Amino acid sequence: MAEVNYVVEALKFMVLGMGVVFLFLFILVKVVELQAKLIAKYFPENTPPTPAVPAVNVTEDENRRVAAIIAAVTEFRNKKS
Amino acid sequence: MKLKQIFIALLFALVTLSSSAYAEGHDETTVHQEESTTKKAYQPKTLSELASSFWETTGIKAIFDTNDGEMSADPAGEAKEHKLGAFESSFGRIIMILIVFTLFYLAIAKGFEPLLLIPIAFGGLLANIPLAHMAGPEGMLGVIYNMGIANEFFPLLIFMGVGAMTDFGPLLANPKTALLGGAAQFGIFGSLVGAVALGFDIQDASAISIIGGADGPTSIFIANRLAPDMLGAIAVAAYSYMALVPVIQPPIMRALTTKEERQIKMGVQRPVHRLEKLIFPIIVLMLSIMVLPESTPLIGAFAFGNFAKESGVVDRLSDTMQNSLINTVTIFLGLGVGSKLAADKFLVLESLGIMIIGLLAFSAGTAMGVLMAKLMNKFSKEPINPLIGAAGVSAVPMSARVVSKVGSEEKPGNILLMHAMGPNVAGVIGSAVAAGVLLSIFK
Repeated sequence: MAEVNYVVEALKFMVLGMGVVFLFLFILVKVVELQAKLIAKYFPENTPPTPAVPAVNVTEDENRRVAAIIAAVTEFRNKKS
Repeated sequence: MKLKQIFIALLFALVTLSSSAYAEGHDETTVHQEESTTKKAYQPKTLSELASSFWETTGIKAIFDTNDGEMSADPAGEAKEHKLGAFESSFGRIIMILIVFTLFYLAIAKGFEPLLLIPIAFGGLLANIPLAHMAGPEGMLGVIYNMGIANEFFPLLIFMGVGAMTDFGPLLANPKTALLGGAAQFGIFGSLVGAVALGFDIQDASAISIIGGADGPTSIFIANRLAPDMLGAIAVAAYSYMALVPVIQPPIMRALTTKEERQIKMGVQRPVHRLEKLIFPIIVLMLSIMVLPESTPLIGAFAFGNFAKESGVVDRLSDTMQNSLINTVTIFLGLGVGSKLAADKFLVLESLGIMIIGLLAFSAGTAMGVLMAKLMNKFSKEPINPLIGAAGVSAVPMSARVVSKVGSEEKPGNILLMHAMGPNVAGVIGSAVAAGVLLSIFK
């Protein structure tokens, strides 16, 4: 009798546990979807710029630096000749 | 010549004295000998006495002379110590050392989760050294055990590091796949029923069944709370099944899906906004505070690690968490868990039951994840490859890699890794939630 009881108890645990896990993840999914919508609405298209902005800066800096170096070298050569 | 004579004399003395020691009763001699090393003032000894006292301390004698009344090395302290039986202190140790060497083989030659198996197995080797008491309350392993495992500290640190390593991008890009991580937790509760049916105490059964979540730190956390006596076997089972993911999962995945299903291609994931990633750990934590604060130690540590990573301004901290800290803790955790591989702790019938239930739990979780993914594929607008359901068990990132490997075997060029990471990280959250539910039952 007691053992049968325990298996039933375990089944109850299963119902409770799976229920809570699914409920938790379901709410999580809904909140995340809502969040994605809100962020897309209020901070639109921020994704490409965020990584892109520093990237552009870096390349611009790089270009400027290269330009500066070239200018310096030409200057130097001109003076020499 | 002289040297040879002395050597022979020494051998002779050794043999006669050891046999006389047997005759006199060994308990007294060992106790006496242990005291004399610490307290008594030195008294002149003959060479034969020295040789015999040395013989008393050799491992060979300790293993073959089983009646030396040695105490079990339990880190929990004197209260839990008991005299080792003849079997435990002789053949038990030898068997455990052989098991340890098998673990070495699996880790080195087969590449099964070497980062964990090597420290665990070596800890097991050290714990089975006779007379040294390394796993006792004052031994190195015992100190480590009491420092971070008995109080659940190390598993939380590991969770922090895992959080700092986890990228929730794939989950955020396709949130529905999180439900697969929930389905795989069926392994936990299904095997709970199985364990109870097998005759385990319901509280012990809960601790064992958490192996089905395939999550080492969570298993240790729960085992500590619900069944501390079984911690060793549970931790070893959990980590060995995590290591055996590439062996256990693929046959189950293939059995439950058709060839066409395995070949399903999934679309490209949308890019995820940085803010989404930043807010996500906070959302998870808030939800767990509201739904089940019992599991917030695990989820809290996890969320902290992930938040530090995604904040992007504390790279030094998140770097420490995902590298040096987690590595350090892994060493300690491995050695501490290994100390539970001492013969008297591990060589009990229950360990076998734990290993079997653990395997069933793990397989059931995989199967349920795959079936759930099949179901979702039927009703979803975008195609879902059922294989990714197998990644719902929380062995991050092994099961996602396995899914990806099986997928690309079926159809070269079909990369499922990122799609599988979604259920995979959801599985971590899912098993932490399941752990919280189990804790709430036995509060």
